[in-house]
Amino acid sequence: MLLAENRKAARRLLDKRILFFGGKGGVGKTTCAAAVALAASREGQRVLLVSTDPAHSTSDIFEQRFTREEREILPNLHGLEIDADFEASRYIAEVKEQVSKMFSPAMVGAASRQIDLAAAMPGVGDVALFDRLTTIVAARNSVYDLVVFDTAPTGHTVRLLQMPEMLGTWIDALTAQRRRAVERDAAIRDDGGEVEPDPIVAALERRRDRLDSVRRRLVEHRDTSFVLVLIPERLPIEETSRAAGALADAGIEVGAVIVNRVLPDGLGGEFYAARRRQEDVYRREIDHRFKTMDRIVIAQLESDVYGLKRLERISAQILG
Amino acid sequence: MRWSELRSNVRDALHGLFYFRYEQDLRAEAIELNDLFLLMCYMEMVGLPNPVTLYLLEVYPHLLSEFHLWHRRMGVDRSPVANIRCC
Repeated sequence: MLLAENRKAARRLLDKRILFFGGKGGVGKTTCAAAVALAASREGQRVLLVSTDPAHSTSDIFEQRFTREEREILPNLHGLEIDADFEASRYIAEVKEQVSKMFSPAMVGAASRQIDLAAAMPGVGDVALFDRLTTIVAARNSVYDLVVFDTAPTGHTVRLLQMPEMLGTWIDALTAQRRRAVERDAAIRDDGGEVEPDPIVAALERRRDRLDSVRRRLVEHRDTSFVLVLIPERLPIEETSRAAGALADAGIEVGAVIVNRVLPDGLGGEFYAARRRQEDVYRREIDHRFKTMDRIVIAQLESDVYGLKRLERISAQILG
Repeated sequence: MRWSELRSNVRDALHGLFYFRYEQDLRAEAIELNDLFLLMCYMEMVGLPNPVTLYLLEVYPHLLSEFHLWHRRMGVDRSPVANIRCC
Protein backbone atom coordinates (compact mmCIF):
# COMPACT_ATOMS: atom_id res chain seq x y z
CA MET A 1 0.00 0.00 0.00
CA LEU A 2 2.82 2.34 0.90
CA LEU A 3 4.59 1.39 -2.27
CA ALA A 4 1.65 2.45 -4.38
CA GLU A 5 1.62 5.87 -2.75
CA ASN A 6 5.38 6.19 -3.11
CA ARG A 7 5.11 5.32 -6.75
CA LYS A 8 2.44 7.88 -7.44
CA ALA A 9 4.45 10.65 -5.76
CA ALA A 10 7.67 9.53 -7.44
CA ARG A 11 5.99 9.59 -10.85
CA ARG A 12 5.14 13.24 -10.36
CA LEU A 13 8.76 13.96 -9.44
CA LEU A 14 10.15 12.15 -12.47
CA ASP A 15 7.94 14.25 -14.73
CA LYS A 16 9.88 17.35 -13.66
CA ARG A 17 12.97 18.65 -15.43
CA ILE A 18 14.85 19.95 -12.38
CA LEU A 19 14.79 18.54 -8.85
CA PHE A 20 16.54 19.91 -5.79
CA PHE A 21 17.08 17.65 -2.80
CA GLY A 22 17.54 19.31 0.55
CA GLY A 23 17.25 18.59 4.25
CA LYS A 24 19.08 18.54 7.54
CA GLY A 25 22.59 17.09 7.58
CA GLY A 26 22.77 13.33 7.84
CA VAL A 27 19.17 12.44 6.95
CA GLY A 28 20.12 10.81 3.66
CA LYS A 29 19.69 13.57 1.07
CA THR A 30 22.47 12.23 -1.07
CA THR A 31 21.13 8.68 -0.90
CA CYS A 32 17.62 9.79 -1.89
CA ALA A 33 18.86 12.07 -4.68
CA ALA A 34 21.05 9.27 -6.01
CA ALA A 35 18.21 6.74 -5.78
CA VAL A 36 15.80 8.99 -7.70
CA ALA A 37 18.43 9.83 -10.31
CA LEU A 38 19.21 6.15 -10.71
CA ALA A 39 15.52 5.24 -11.03
CA ALA A 40 14.98 7.91 -13.69
CA SER A 41 18.04 6.83 -15.67
CA ARG A 42 16.91 3.19 -15.60
CA GLU A 43 13.64 4.35 -17.14
CA GLY A 44 15.56 5.75 -20.05
CA GLN A 45 15.67 9.42 -19.08
CA ARG A 46 18.97 11.18 -19.63
CA VAL A 47 19.87 12.31 -16.12
CA LEU A 48 22.48 14.64 -14.67
CA LEU A 49 23.15 14.28 -10.96
CA VAL A 50 24.83 17.38 -9.55
CA SER A 51 26.30 17.58 -6.08
CA THR A 52 26.70 21.04 -4.60
CA ASP A 53 27.38 19.75 -1.10
CA PRO A 54 30.98 20.47 -0.11
CA ALA A 55 30.93 17.08 1.66
CA HIS A 56 30.42 15.40 -1.74
CA SER A 57 29.32 11.92 -0.69
CA THR A 58 27.89 11.09 -4.13
CA SER A 59 31.21 9.62 -5.18
CA ASP A 60 31.10 7.31 -2.17
CA ILE A 61 27.60 6.05 -2.89
CA PHE A 62 28.30 5.21 -6.53
CA GLU A 63 31.83 4.13 -5.66
CA GLN A 64 32.96 6.18 -8.64
CA ARG A 65 34.63 9.54 -8.79
CA PHE A 66 32.37 12.47 -9.58
CA THR A 67 34.45 15.25 -11.10
CA ARG A 68 34.27 19.01 -11.55
CA GLU A 69 33.26 18.39 -15.15
CA GLU A 70 30.29 16.24 -16.15
CA ARG A 71 31.14 12.62 -16.83
CA GLU A 72 29.16 9.47 -17.44
CA ILE A 73 28.72 7.38 -14.29
CA LEU A 74 26.30 4.78 -15.61
CA PRO A 75 24.34 4.46 -18.86
CA ASN A 76 22.04 7.52 -19.09
CA LEU A 77 23.42 8.90 -15.84
CA HIS A 78 25.97 11.69 -15.78
CA GLY A 79 27.51 13.09 -12.63
CA LEU A 80 29.08 16.39 -11.64
CA GLU A 81 30.48 17.73 -8.41
CA ILE A 82 30.53 21.51 -8.17
CA ASP A 83 33.51 22.75 -6.23
CA ALA A 84 33.06 26.32 -5.00
CA ASP A 85 36.76 27.23 -4.87
CA PHE A 86 37.41 25.80 -8.30
CA GLU A 87 34.43 27.67 -9.76
CA ALA A 88 35.64 30.89 -8.15
CA SER A 89 39.11 30.58 -9.65
CA ARG A 90 37.66 29.65 -13.02
CA TYR A 91 35.41 32.70 -12.95
CA ILE A 92 38.33 34.94 -11.97
CA ALA A 93 40.42 33.60 -14.83
CA GLU A 94 37.59 34.33 -17.27
CA VAL A 95 37.20 37.88 -15.99
CA LYS A 96 40.92 38.52 -16.26
CA GLU A 97 40.98 37.33 -19.82
CA GLN A 98 38.05 39.54 -20.71
CA VAL A 99 39.68 42.51 -19.02
CA SER A 100 42.98 41.93 -20.82
CA LYS A 101 41.19 42.09 -24.16
CA MET A 102 39.50 45.39 -23.40
CA PHE A 103 42.04 47.54 -21.58
CA SER A 104 45.62 48.78 -21.77
CA PRO A 105 48.33 46.62 -20.13
CA ALA A 106 48.89 49.19 -17.37
CA MET A 107 45.20 49.12 -16.51
CA VAL A 108 45.15 45.34 -16.65
CA GLY A 109 48.05 45.12 -14.20
CA ALA A 110 46.32 47.42 -11.75
CA ALA A 111 42.97 45.69 -12.09
CA SER A 112 44.52 42.24 -11.80
CA ARG A 113 45.79 42.90 -8.31
CA GLN A 114 42.41 44.11 -7.25
CA ILE A 115 40.61 41.20 -8.83
CA ASP A 116 42.84 38.72 -6.98
CA LEU A 117 42.13 40.52 -3.76
CA ALA A 118 38.38 40.52 -4.31
CA ALA A 119 38.51 36.83 -5.20
CA ALA A 120 39.73 36.06 -1.70
CA MET A 121 36.67 37.68 -0.08
CA PRO A 122 34.41 35.41 1.93
CA GLY A 123 31.24 34.54 0.09
CA VAL A 124 32.82 34.66 -3.36
CA GLY A 125 32.82 30.85 -3.50
CA ASP A 126 29.07 30.80 -2.85
CA VAL A 127 28.37 33.24 -5.63
CA ALA A 128 30.65 31.30 -7.99
CA LEU A 129 28.87 28.08 -7.08
CA PHE A 130 25.58 29.77 -7.71
CA ASP A 131 26.89 31.03 -11.04
CA ARG A 132 27.69 27.48 -12.16
CA LEU A 133 24.31 26.30 -10.96
CA THR A 134 22.82 29.14 -12.96
CA THR A 135 24.37 27.95 -16.22
CA ILE A 136 22.95 24.48 -15.64
CA VAL A 137 19.48 25.67 -14.61
CA ALA A 138 19.11 28.33 -17.30
CA ALA A 139 20.57 26.18 -20.08
CA ARG A 140 18.29 26.04 -23.07
CA ASN A 141 18.28 22.90 -25.21
CA SER A 142 19.78 20.95 -22.34
CA VAL A 143 20.81 17.44 -23.36
CA TYR A 144 19.30 16.16 -20.12
CA ASP A 145 15.71 15.20 -19.43
CA LEU A 146 16.20 15.54 -15.69
CA VAL A 147 18.75 17.39 -13.58
CA VAL A 148 18.93 16.32 -9.92
CA PHE A 149 20.71 18.60 -7.48
CA ASP A 150 21.99 17.09 -4.28
CA THR A 151 22.44 20.20 -2.18
CA ALA A 152 24.22 21.09 1.03
CA PRO A 153 22.27 21.10 4.33
CA THR A 154 19.16 23.22 4.41
CA GLY A 155 20.40 26.66 5.50
CA HIS A 156 23.02 26.81 2.79
CA THR A 157 20.63 25.69 0.08
CA VAL A 158 17.84 28.04 0.99
CA ARG A 159 20.36 30.87 0.91
CA LEU A 160 21.53 29.68 -2.47
CA LEU A 161 18.01 29.70 -3.87
CA GLN A 162 17.27 33.11 -2.42
CA MET A 163 20.35 34.42 -4.16
CA PRO A 164 18.67 35.54 -7.40
CA GLU A 165 16.33 37.68 -5.35
CA MET A 166 19.06 39.15 -3.18
CA LEU A 167 21.63 39.70 -5.91
CA GLY A 168 18.91 41.12 -8.11
CA THR A 169 18.00 43.73 -5.53
CA TRP A 170 21.66 44.69 -5.22
CA ILE A 171 22.22 44.92 -8.92
CA ASP A 172 19.10 47.02 -9.32
CA ALA A 173 20.28 49.45 -6.65
CA LEU A 174 23.71 49.72 -8.26
CA THR A 175 22.28 50.15 -11.73
CA ALA A 176 19.87 52.86 -10.63
CA GLN A 177 22.64 54.72 -8.83
CA ARG A 178 25.05 54.46 -11.73
CA ARG A 179 22.40 55.55 -14.18
CA ARG A 180 21.55 58.63 -12.16
CA ALA A 181 25.23 59.61 -12.01
CA VAL A 182 25.70 59.04 -15.73
CA GLU A 183 22.63 61.10 -16.56
CA ARG A 184 23.88 64.07 -14.54
CA ASP A 185 27.27 63.84 -16.23
CA ALA A 186 25.57 63.79 -19.60
CA ALA A 187 23.42 66.82 -18.71
CA ILE A 188 26.54 68.86 -17.92
CA ARG A 189 28.41 67.77 -21.00
CA ASP A 190 25.31 68.08 -23.12
CA ASP A 191 26.48 68.94 -26.63
CA GLY A 192 23.43 67.64 -28.41
CA GLY A 193 25.25 64.48 -29.50
CA GLU A 194 24.33 60.88 -28.78
CA VAL A 195 25.05 59.74 -25.25
CA GLU A 196 27.28 56.67 -25.34
CA PRO A 197 25.90 53.64 -23.48
CA ASP A 198 27.66 53.20 -20.17
CA PRO A 199 29.71 49.96 -20.00
CA ILE A 200 29.07 49.53 -16.28
CA VAL A 201 25.30 49.78 -16.68
CA ALA A 202 25.51 47.37 -19.62
CA ALA A 203 27.48 44.81 -17.59
CA LEU A 204 25.10 45.07 -14.64
CA GLU A 205 22.10 44.63 -16.89
CA ARG A 206 23.57 41.53 -18.51
CA ARG A 207 23.90 40.06 -15.01
CA ARG A 208 20.37 41.02 -14.14
CA ASP A 209 18.97 39.30 -17.22
CA ARG A 210 20.71 36.09 -16.33
CA LEU A 211 19.47 36.16 -12.74
CA ASP A 212 15.95 36.77 -14.01
CA SER A 213 16.01 33.74 -16.23
CA VAL A 214 17.16 31.56 -13.31
CA ARG A 215 14.53 33.00 -11.02
CA ARG A 216 11.84 32.35 -13.60
CA ARG A 217 13.03 28.78 -13.96
CA LEU A 218 13.02 28.24 -10.19
CA VAL A 219 9.82 30.01 -9.34
CA GLU A 220 7.47 30.22 -12.28
CA HIS A 221 8.18 27.02 -14.13
CA ARG A 222 6.16 24.05 -13.06
CA ASP A 223 8.96 21.76 -14.15
CA THR A 224 11.19 22.61 -11.20
CA SER A 225 10.56 21.16 -7.79
CA PHE A 226 12.17 20.85 -4.39
CA VAL A 227 12.28 17.62 -2.41
CA LEU A 228 12.83 17.78 1.33
CA VAL A 229 14.32 14.72 2.99
CA LEU A 230 13.86 14.05 6.69
CA ILE A 231 13.82 11.21 9.20
CA PRO A 232 11.00 10.72 11.75
CA GLU A 233 12.71 12.55 14.62
CA ARG A 234 12.10 15.84 16.40
CA LEU A 235 14.98 17.99 15.12
CA PRO A 236 14.74 17.10 11.43
CA ILE A 237 10.96 17.72 11.55
CA GLU A 238 11.48 21.21 12.96
CA GLU A 239 14.26 22.12 10.55
CA THR A 240 12.40 20.76 7.56
CA SER A 241 9.27 22.64 8.40
CA ARG A 242 11.30 25.87 8.66
CA ALA A 243 12.89 25.11 5.30
CA ALA A 244 9.48 24.50 3.74
CA GLY A 245 8.40 27.91 5.03
CA ALA A 246 11.49 29.64 3.67
CA LEU A 247 11.07 27.97 0.28
CA ALA A 248 7.43 28.97 0.15
CA ASP A 249 8.47 32.56 0.93
CA ALA A 250 10.93 32.41 -1.95
CA GLY A 251 8.12 31.13 -4.16
CA ILE A 252 9.71 27.73 -4.74
CA GLU A 253 7.42 24.73 -4.91
CA VAL A 254 8.08 21.82 -2.54
CA GLY A 255 7.02 18.81 -4.56
CA ALA A 256 7.50 16.06 -2.01
CA VAL A 257 8.77 15.15 1.41
CA ILE A 258 10.79 11.95 1.69
CA VAL A 259 10.51 10.29 5.09
CA ASN A 260 13.70 8.31 5.19
CA ARG A 261 15.00 5.54 7.44
CA VAL A 262 11.62 4.46 8.78
CA LEU A 263 11.67 1.27 10.89
CA PRO A 264 10.75 -1.80 8.84
CA ASP A 265 7.57 -3.69 9.70
CA GLY A 266 7.28 -6.96 11.50
CA LEU A 267 10.12 -6.96 13.96
CA GLY A 268 9.83 -7.87 17.62
CA GLY A 269 11.48 -7.02 20.92
CA GLU A 270 10.96 -4.36 23.53
CA PHE A 271 13.50 -1.95 22.07
CA TYR A 272 11.88 -2.14 18.65
CA ALA A 273 8.38 -1.71 20.08
CA ALA A 274 9.43 1.38 22.03
CA ARG A 275 11.11 2.96 19.01
CA ARG A 276 8.19 2.08 16.85
CA ARG A 277 5.74 3.78 19.23
CA GLN A 278 7.80 6.94 19.19
CA GLU A 279 8.19 6.82 15.45
CA ASP A 280 4.45 6.50 14.96
CA VAL A 281 3.97 9.74 16.86
CA TYR A 282 6.47 11.53 14.67
CA ARG A 283 5.07 10.05 11.49
CA ARG A 284 1.61 11.26 12.35
CA GLU A 285 3.11 14.65 13.03
CA ILE A 286 4.89 14.62 9.67
CA ASP A 287 1.66 13.65 7.90
CA HIS A 288 -0.06 16.53 9.61
CA ARG A 289 2.59 19.22 9.14
CA PHE A 290 3.40 18.40 5.52
CA LYS A 291 -0.09 17.43 4.47
CA THR A 292 -0.08 19.66 1.41
CA MET A 293 2.92 17.82 -0.07
CA ASP A 294 3.40 14.34 -1.46
CA ARG A 295 5.09 11.99 0.96
CA ILE A 296 7.47 9.19 0.04
CA VAL A 297 8.35 6.73 2.81
CA ILE A 298 11.56 4.73 2.74
CA ALA A 299 12.27 1.94 5.22
CA GLN A 300 15.67 1.40 6.75
CA LEU A 301 17.86 -1.34 5.33
CA GLU A 302 19.71 -3.74 7.57
CA SER A 303 22.93 -2.08 6.42
CA ASP A 304 24.05 1.41 5.41
CA VAL A 305 23.68 2.49 1.79
CA TYR A 306 26.67 2.58 -0.51
CA GLY A 307 27.37 0.81 -3.72
CA LEU A 308 24.96 0.25 -6.57
CA LYS A 309 23.32 -2.89 -5.16
CA ARG A 310 22.01 -1.23 -2.02
CA LEU A 311 21.15 1.97 -3.83
CA GLU A 312 18.97 -0.09 -6.15
CA ARG A 313 17.06 -1.36 -3.14
CA ILE A 314 16.28 2.24 -2.16
CA SER A 315 15.30 3.04 -5.75
CA ALA A 316 12.98 0.04 -5.67
CA GLN A 317 11.26 1.35 -2.57
CA ILE A 318 10.66 4.68 -4.27
CA LEU A 319 9.54 3.55 -7.67
CA GLY A 320 8.85 -0.14 -7.20
CA MET B 1 25.46 102.45 -25.56
CA ARG B 2 22.04 102.03 -26.92
CA TRP B 3 19.17 100.99 -24.77
CA SER B 4 18.54 97.74 -26.59
CA GLU B 5 22.24 96.81 -26.38
CA LEU B 6 22.27 97.42 -22.66
CA ARG B 7 19.19 95.35 -22.24
CA SER B 8 20.65 92.42 -24.15
CA ASN B 9 23.89 92.61 -22.15
CA VAL B 10 22.03 92.55 -18.88
CA ARG B 11 20.01 89.62 -20.09
CA ASP B 12 23.15 87.72 -21.09
CA ALA B 13 24.80 88.49 -17.75
CA LEU B 14 21.77 87.25 -15.84
CA HIS B 15 21.56 84.19 -18.04
CA GLY B 16 25.27 83.47 -17.45
CA LEU B 17 24.95 83.97 -13.71
CA PHE B 18 21.92 81.78 -13.51
CA TYR B 19 23.34 79.12 -15.77
CA PHE B 20 26.66 79.11 -13.89
CA ARG B 21 24.86 78.47 -10.63
CA TYR B 22 22.77 75.78 -12.26
CA GLU B 23 25.79 74.02 -13.73
CA GLN B 24 27.59 74.21 -10.40
CA ASP B 25 24.67 72.54 -8.68
CA LEU B 26 24.49 69.93 -11.39
CA ARG B 27 28.20 69.19 -11.08
CA ALA B 28 27.99 68.88 -7.30
CA GLU B 29 25.08 66.54 -7.64
CA ALA B 30 26.81 64.40 -10.24
CA ILE B 31 29.88 64.13 -8.02
CA GLU B 32 27.79 63.12 -5.05
CA LEU B 33 25.92 60.48 -7.04
CA ASN B 34 29.17 59.09 -8.38
CA ASP B 35 30.73 58.94 -4.92
CA LEU B 36 27.74 57.05 -3.60
CA PHE B 37 28.02 54.62 -6.48
CA LEU B 38 31.71 54.09 -5.76
CA LEU B 39 30.95 53.51 -2.10
CA MET B 40 28.38 50.87 -3.04
CA CYS B 41 31.00 49.13 -5.18
CA TYR B 42 33.76 49.29 -2.60
CA MET B 43 31.72 48.53 0.49
CA GLU B 44 34.11 45.85 1.76
CA MET B 45 36.66 48.57 2.19
CA VAL B 46 34.57 50.12 4.93
CA GLY B 47 33.77 46.75 6.43
CA LEU B 48 30.34 46.13 4.93
CA PRO B 49 29.75 42.91 3.03
CA ASN B 50 28.87 43.24 -0.63
CA PRO B 51 27.25 40.17 -2.18
CA VAL B 52 27.83 41.26 -5.76
CA THR B 53 31.61 41.69 -5.48
CA LEU B 54 32.14 38.84 -7.90
CA TYR B 55 29.85 40.38 -10.48
CA LEU B 56 31.60 43.73 -10.21
CA LEU B 57 34.97 42.23 -11.07
CA GLU B 58 34.34 42.55 -14.78
CA VAL B 59 33.77 46.28 -14.50
CA TYR B 60 36.69 46.98 -12.15
CA PRO B 61 38.87 48.60 -14.82
CA HIS B 62 36.06 51.10 -15.41
CA LEU B 63 35.75 51.70 -11.70
CA LEU B 64 39.49 52.27 -11.53
CA SER B 65 39.25 55.53 -13.46
CA GLU B 66 36.28 56.64 -11.37
CA PHE B 67 38.28 55.90 -8.26
CA HIS B 68 41.18 57.93 -9.62
CA LEU B 69 38.92 60.96 -10.15
CA TRP B 70 37.55 60.53 -6.67
CA HIS B 71 40.88 60.61 -4.81
CA ARG B 72 42.05 63.59 -6.88
CA ARG B 73 38.85 65.36 -5.92
CA MET B 74 39.53 64.55 -2.29
CA GLY B 75 42.86 66.34 -2.66
CA VAL B 76 45.00 63.20 -2.52
CA ASP B 77 47.60 63.12 -5.29
CA ARG B 78 48.37 59.41 -5.36
CA SER B 79 45.98 56.54 -4.71
CA PRO B 80 45.41 56.38 -0.94
CA VAL B 81 44.59 52.67 -1.05
CA ALA B 82 47.57 50.35 -1.41
CA ASN B 83 45.64 47.76 -3.41
CA ILE B 84 44.14 50.13 -5.90
CA ARG B 85 46.91 51.47 -8.07
CA CYS B 86 45.20 53.74 -10.49
CA CYS B 87 48.18 56.07 -10.77
